[in-house]
Amino acid sequence: MTTEQPRDASPAGADEAPDPADALAIIAAQRARAEGTRPSSTWIFGLWGIAWLVGYGAMWLTARDDRRPSVLAVVVAIGLGLVAVTLTIVHVLRRTHGIAGAGARQGALYGWAWPIGFAAQSLIVAGLGRAGASDEVTGLAANAIAALVVGLLYLAGGLLWQDTPMYVIGGWMALVGAAAALTGLPGSYLVMALAGGGGMLVLGLVSRLRSRA
Amino acid sequence: MPDEQLDPVIHAQARLRVVATLASLGARDRISFPRLQKLLDMTAGNLSTHLRRLEEADYVQITKTHEGRTPATYVELTLAGRLAFERYTQSLRALLGGTS
Repeated sequence: MTTEQPRDASPAGADEAPDPADALAIIAAQRARAEGTRPSSTWIFGLWGIAWLVGYGAMWLTARDDRRPSVLAVVVAIGLGLVAVTLTIVHVLRRTHGIAGAGARQGALYGWAWPIGFAAQSLIVAGLGRAGASDEVTGLAANAIAALVVGLLYLAGGLLWQDTPMYVIGGWMALVGAAAALTGLPGSYLVMALAGGGGMLVLGLVSRLRSRA
Repeated sequence: MPDEQLDPVIHAQARLRVVATLASLGARDRISFPRLQKLLDMTAGNLSTHLRRLEEADYVQITKTHEGRTPATYVELTLAGRLAFERYTQSLRALLGGTS
């Protein structure tokens, strides 16, 4: 965005050969511009980190005395989840609009794996409830399976895009779910909020710093 | 004359911007003409002119297709284009004195 010459005004200027330093600057500028065709991991991890931190945080705060989160806290958590899903879809569609090809197709298939994973998670939890599982068992399983879905999908994403931080957070999230199950209620919610949501926020920060470096 | 070492097809302000943008996409991805135009802030006519020149050099491949009933044009860098761009950036760095 420095001293850009008029481009369309003078096609002759557009045909001019830049000197090597300018050429490198042009390449860097266009590379930065093309970043806008990819979903921002900073943005997505930040969004989900806040959703988990606040959603699970609210459940933990209201579940400390009787191990059951208040209805309001559950509604807030589910609402945040739905908002985060919607914003993620809108963000990805806007960023990748007009991009096609094998890489884009791979990204789309990966994107669909998320709702599939979460649909399976809710069906499993419903199944446990129908089979007579207590609220506590259902709650622990819901948390742990959600974290497992997130964890395994981040592991897969890390493999697909050779993105080591993504792979690391994937392993972290899967283990956070396991730790949350072992902690029992209501501590399980706190583990999900701080280690899960906090972990994603840290990763968002890391990917922001890395993209600047 | 440093220009002798730099690929003249790429070494022009506008085409360099086009190629650099296409090279930043995923290796197997293509971009729609309007989205590319937006990333470059070029007029459609101007972009077409430069794309034609790049297509003649076999650096880009232009695919015309239909999305529903609307015709759509997609642009992607060919393997030759990608290699030429890599050689071009290497020559730039060499000219600027970077040996690595």
